[in-house]
Formats: sequence, structure tokens, C-alpha cells
Amino acid sequence: MDPVSRARLFGVSDVFDSPITLWGTVGVAALLVVSPLLVLVLSKAGRIDAELRKELMLRCGSWAVIAPALLVPVLLGAAWWIGAMFVLSALCLREFGRITGVFREPMVMGAAYLGLIALYFAVLDNWYMMFAAVTPITAVLILAAAILSDRPKGYVQRVALGVLGFTLFGTGLGHLAFFASDAQFRPMLFIIIAAVQGNDVFAYLCGKTLGKRKLCPNTSPNKTIAGAVGAVVCTTTLVVCLGHFVVADGMRVWWLHLLGAGVLLSIAGQMGDLVLSSVKRDIGIKDTGTILPGHGGLLDRFDSLLLASPVIFYFVAYFRGIGLDQPIRVLTVG
Amino acid sequence: MRDFDLQPAKDLGLPEAERARSLQREPGLVSLLTSHAWWGVVRVYLKLFHRLKFEGREHLPTQPPFVLAANHSSHLDALVLAAALHAKHRRYVFPISAGDVFFETKLATAFSALCLNALPMWRKNAGRHAMGQLRERFAAGDAGFILFPEGTRSPDGKIKKFRAGVGMLVAGTDVPIVPCHIAGAYQALPKGAAFPRPRTLKVTIGPSLRFNDQSNDKTGWTEIASQLYTAIEELAANAEN
Repeated sequence: MDPVSRARLFGVSDVFDSPITLWGTVGVAALLVVSPLLVLVLSKAGRIDAELRKELMLRCGSWAVIAPALLVPVLLGAAWWIGAMFVLSALCLREFGRITGVFREPMVMGAAYLGLIALYFAVLDNWYMMFAAVTPITAVLILAAAILSDRPKGYVQRVALGVLGFTLFGTGLGHLAFFASDAQFRPMLFIIIAAVQGNDVFAYLCGKTLGKRKLCPNTSPNKTIAGAVGAVVCTTTLVVCLGHFVVADGMRVWWLHLLGAGVLLSIAGQMGDLVLSSVKRDIGIKDTGTILPGHGGLLDRFDSLLLASPVIFYFVAYFRGIGLDQPIRVLTVG
Repeated sequence: MRDFDLQPAKDLGLPEAERARSLQREPGLVSLLTSHAWWGVVRVYLKLFHRLKFEGREHLPTQPPFVLAANHSSHLDALVLAAALHAKHRRYVFPISAGDVFFETKLATAFSALCLNALPMWRKNAGRHAMGQLRERFAAGDAGFILFPEGTRSPDGKIKKFRAGVGMLVAGTDVPIVPCHIAGAYQALPKGAAFPRPRTLKVTIGPSLRFNDQSNDKTGWTEIASQLYTAIEELAANAEN
């Protein structure tokens, strides 16, 4: 393996070169300590009741696992990030299978998991051509594999769910992993994840304080138009502010691009949220799992990244380029 | 076998540890792979070490739901019956096993759930509720059960009286019960023995019985248990000749 790729995949010497990575890490660590303390103080002061306190503490506990699970791989290097995203994708696909019932079709699920392995191999290899090819090829594989059970009744539903699952959790999340092909992946991922997760919080807070008219009451009764608009404004502001640090870091970023990225991240993030809400409504379940106490399943937490990842990937790739100076096919050609 | 319907896993929302012990458990790809590996090894072992032979395999059902019922004198019994089934059935065939043996420790639970695909029956309260939950799984159309109506391993190799539980499972339904007789398992691995001995095993499979005209109450259950007992006794008598 060439030294440039080795440094990108495993190097930690330049971890905190970008101020946003340093301050982001400090900020996340501080939030993880301060949030439960804040809940305790509010509860002591009698501002929140015992039930809400328990709920909030559960959420803080879950974040204490999620945040390091995302943060540490980003800091350790691109290979770790790709590995972490592979695990996340596989667990999300499993959860999707179990809520939709397509997990009862081992051929469909097996084909989707094979596609997932190929996809993440392409990411690790930094071979975009293969990365792009895996999605249509996996779709073909799922269509072909589903024939093997020789039950034409329900065939369309089985393959449709298989392909949808792979597209959302393989291709969708895979684009977030492919950011790792850029030498500057740490600051970019910091901004994207902060924006998308912040987006949820902004929508919640704006909706609570200003919201009156419902956004789409049948899909998600608690979402309001004010919350959605407020989230777009706040998230865009956050992205432009955070992006300012990156500009100082020597990357050529124009503020209008940051504005566009913020708006896209916010809208795509909320869309992803609503997509999962629609899926859950259709099936008639509230949570997609129990893996994260206080949140539900992984899909309940990472829904907003599903659509935002490919959107922001191609936005950045078009206006800036991702990993253009990095050697490609680091494993297959050497 | 059901066509596709947009139904979440029946065990959705249970924590993993509870899910492994749940009668609602639906296996996914991981347990499918581990159980295939396990049964592959078991089949080879039974063929080579015990010269396992089958008679009447044409009576085995080709579609779920169904129940395989047999006499019980050894831990080998469930392995032998599951080995009789075609690999494509294994995903939805659940041996009903003693909770206090197979689901007592965490390790045993993981093994029973992942490799054996077993469902626990707690002998103290193996009552109507548990049987009702299993009956519901027939309605979904993709479950087959392996069970031993004696309720426990026979201490002397002779067939004991059948309990009524098997009747609670199928009374008034169109689910076929396939009576099976296992010969040689008591000699190979009796209750209390630590290691199996190389004795020949032979499974005789009889034509399936249906009890859709039996009432779902105590008289119906005992009637089913006694008819099933007669069927397996006959298989045993034929096997000896």
C-alpha cells in the first residue's frame, strides 16, 4: 500500500490539524458530561418530573454510546470509519428486514448483505467505479436470488423491499463512508454529522416553541411547518459558521456553497426522518428496535442520515471534489 | 408457506436475551447460518457414528405447518428427527425443548436458540398459555414443531403415557401430526449417560394424523394423545419385527 493511502486510512499524526476536529471533539465530550448534569439540575429545581427525567437520562446514556462510537473511528482514521459504517449499515439492514418482514427471505437478505460487503470493499479500496457499480449489480443479484425460493406469489414485494433496504442502508449510508476517501474527511464528516443531528434538535425546539400548523399530520403528528422552516434556518446557519473554520483551514470553500449545503442537509435530513416515519406508520409500529434505550432502534436515530448522505456527497463532489488527489484502488492494484 | 405480507417479526421489541427465550422468536440470517452449520455436522455424525436409517420418509410433510411427534428416551431424539427433514424446512422447524435444561444458562440459551432453533417449554407451567402461543404460530403458516408428548425422557427406554399438551396444540385444526418412532436412542445415550455409544439408530415415520374433528377441550386432548400413542406403538411393533 502506498504511504499516502496508509496515512489516510490509519494515520493519526494529523488528527487535530483542523481546528474543527479539535473543538468538535472537545465540544462532544463536554456535551456528554454537561447534558446529564443539566437534567439533574433541572430535576432538582423541580422543572421536570421524574418520568421525563428518566426518559432524558436514558437518552443521555444512549448518546454516551452513540457519540463515541461515531467519533472515535473518525479520529482513528479512514479505515476505522469505513469499518464502523459497515457495521452500522449491516445492523440497519437487519433492523429494516425485521420490521418489514423481508428477513423471512434468506435469499434476498443474503444477496443484500453480499452487496454490502462488496460496497464497503469498494470504499476501502477507494475505487469509485466499483462503488457505483455495486448498487445496480446488487439489485440484479437480489432479483435473481429471490427466484431460487420458487414462490412467485409475493415476489415483487420481496425483491422491492430487498432493493429498497439495500439502497437506503447500503448505498445511502455508503456515501457517508466514501467521504473517507478524502484527506480532509475529518472536518467534512464533523460538519455533516453535527448538521444532521443538530437538525433534528432544531426541528424539535423550533416546533415546540413556534409550531402551530402541522407539516403532515398523518405521517408524523408532532412535526410542524414552523419546526421544519426553523430547522432549515438554524442548520444552514450552523453549517455556514462551522464551514468558516474550514475556510480558515485552507480548503477552498465559498460561503454560497456552504449555504447550499446547509439547506440541502436540512431538507434531506428531515425527508429521511419522514421516510422512516412513513415506513413505520405503514407497518404499524412505533419503534424499529430496542438497541438504543430512549431512542428505539438504530433506524429511529440514523433515519435523517439516509437521504442526506448521498445528497451532500454529490454536492461536495460537484463543487469541490472528494479525494481527487488520493491514489485509487489501494488494495486491488496496490 | 405464506406469501409475502408486510408483517414485522413477532419478536420485535424484545431485548436480545428475552428474544432468545421467547416462544415468538423468528430466526434471521445469522441463526440460519449457524443452524445450517450445526445440522451439517450433526447429520454426518449421526450417519457415521450411529448408522442412522430412516423408514417411511415419504410420509414427511412438504409444507408447514406440521408437528413431528416421537417417543423420547435420549437427547439424541430431537437431533435425529430434525436430521430427517430436508434442509429447506429447517428454518421454520422448532424443537420444543425443556426450558430448565436448554434455556437455563446464557450459554445454553444462545446455543439452543442459534444452533438448535429450539423453543423453550417450562415444565412447571407448560399449560394452555404456552400451547396457545404455539397454536398462533400455526395460523401464520410458517412453523413446524418437533415435540415429545411424554414430556420428558423415559428413564428405562419404554414409551410412557402421553401428556395432553400435544392435543392442546392441534385439536380442531387441520395441522397434521406425523408419528415417528426412534429405535436405538436409549441404547446409544440414555438419561444420565455422559457420552454416546456407537449404537445403530433407526427412525420409522408413519402416515400423518389430522384431528380437525376433535374438540379443543380436555376430552379432545386426551383422545388425541391416546390415538397418537397407539400410532407410535404400532410403529414400534413394526420396527421390532
